[in-house]
Amino acid sequence: MNRLFAIAGRELRSMFVTPDAYVLIGVYMLFAGFIFFASLGIFLVQLQQIEALGMMQLLEQWNLQDIVVGQSLSTFALFMCFLVPLLSMRGFAAERANGSIELLLTSPASSGEIVLGKFLAIAAVLLVVGVLTGSFVALLFLYGDPELWQTLAGLQTLFLYSLALAAVCCFISTLTRSQIVAGFVGIAAALLLLILPVAADSSQSDVLKDVLRWLGTSTHFDPGLKGEIRSEDLAYFGILIAVFLSLARAAVDSLRWR
Amino acid sequence: MIEAQGLTKRYGGLTAIADVSFKIAKGEVVGFLGPNGAGKTTTMRILTGYLPPSAGSAAVGGFDLGKDGRSAKRVTGYLPESPPLYPEMVVHQYLAYVAALHDVPRRERRDKVARALTACGLEKVEGRVVRTLSKGFRQRVGLAQAIVHDPAVLILDEPTAGLDPIQISEIRELIRRLAAEEGRTVILSTHILAEVDAICQRVLLIAYGHLRLDARLDELRAQGSLEEVFVREVEAAALPAGRAALVEAEL
Repeated sequence: MNRLFAIAGRELRSMFVTPDAYVLIGVYMLFAGFIFFASLGIFLVQLQQIEALGMMQLLEQWNLQDIVVGQSLSTFALFMCFLVPLLSMRGFAAERANGSIELLLTSPASSGEIVLGKFLAIAAVLLVVGVLTGSFVALLFLYGDPELWQTLAGLQTLFLYSLALAAVCCFISTLTRSQIVAGFVGIAAALLLLILPVAADSSQSDVLKDVLRWLGTSTHFDPGLKGEIRSEDLAYFGILIAVFLSLARAAVDSLRWR
Repeated sequence: MIEAQGLTKRYGGLTAIADVSFKIAKGEVVGFLGPNGAGKTTTMRILTGYLPPSAGSAAVGGFDLGKDGRSAKRVTGYLPESPPLYPEMVVHQYLAYVAALHDVPRRERRDKVARALTACGLEKVEGRVVRTLSKGFRQRVGLAQAIVHDPAVLILDEPTAGLDPIQISEIRELIRRLAAEEGRTVILSTHILAEVDAICQRVLLIAYGHLRLDARLDELRAQGSLEEVFVREVEAAALPAGRAALVEAEL
């Protein structure tokens, strides 16, 4: 346990003594803030138009929750496809490049502790990202009345989704010495998982369609971002995290054989 | 303290070391000598638990690496060929991290880090970021991380490679002191004969993956200069007979 926290703590400290994490989180916040502000602006304009036209039935369905919160969160989910791989690409790639992996592998720490330590560090950063994202949405509560539980469910889904991507990227970074390669392959993998359900729609076979749709991340975060927590989606993200962390552990084990 | 029994390591078709066996008693300082590519680093990586051997077994501090690798790793300090440093870390934080990684309890960490800093002459740079240190100081930090958890066994892979003559003599002095003061068992690899002469009591000579010689330094000196012995043994290993033995070991 001590070793696990030592590894996680070191990783976390390294991310914040270099500008990497600040820059990445800063850029994310800039874009996220812009998107959020823009969607709020569009919502207000549309609201005025509907009122001017006197279409009261439409006004009933036109709510802050779905349009501003739901839409913004789906855009943030797309941002995660870039933010998470860039945050986690250092992971094992840097250790391998500067030779410090030899310190880890000759220490009493097990491969599992090493992988979990690195994952925990990224998870902590992603928690900070989640809280910062939540702070935008919290502003809405000052001026409007969005649904509290739906909003929290959306934020939780976004966090869970980012954790799953972190596990995938953690594994990818064990495969290479190059951070750039780890970063790019991570982004590609995240985007691929995102668009799998689109590929599913164009497939002929029903089985393949179901499989592709199930594998895709968007299938599982869409309901959550709209506020609907389904146990099958929680299971999906749990499985994704477990599978890729196990793969990462096996990959670290195999470093000893090369 | 260290025991290797029939160690063999193959990388695909290449045999890096074949049937290497030796025993090292507590407190011995042993020079692991051989030309570049002889299998020194491979042997050391097996002894530190970094690589599993293809055949044979090894034990450090009485713990078999195959069965109880974690206990063996706890009593071993290892300085790889390039020190495993994190360039962005501050020296004393780095050492505290290595101590934690080696199961040093939290309350003892500060003390052990202070001792390692003093032992390696790093007090003045403890607050510096590793990236800003000179090569000689980095090597010292590398040594400090190898001793910070107070290991009984020290394994040093070419500890003076790439240093200038003054740094070399400082590091040698340091190794001699670390070995003598604490009664540690030390293996250090090198291809520099003078280094063995200066620090070690015993020599293991490895060439083409085979252990060619295991002798006390004073016995060797009686046979002639260390250089003569070195060249003779390495050339003998390179002869067809040596090759044949290597092929045989592979089969």
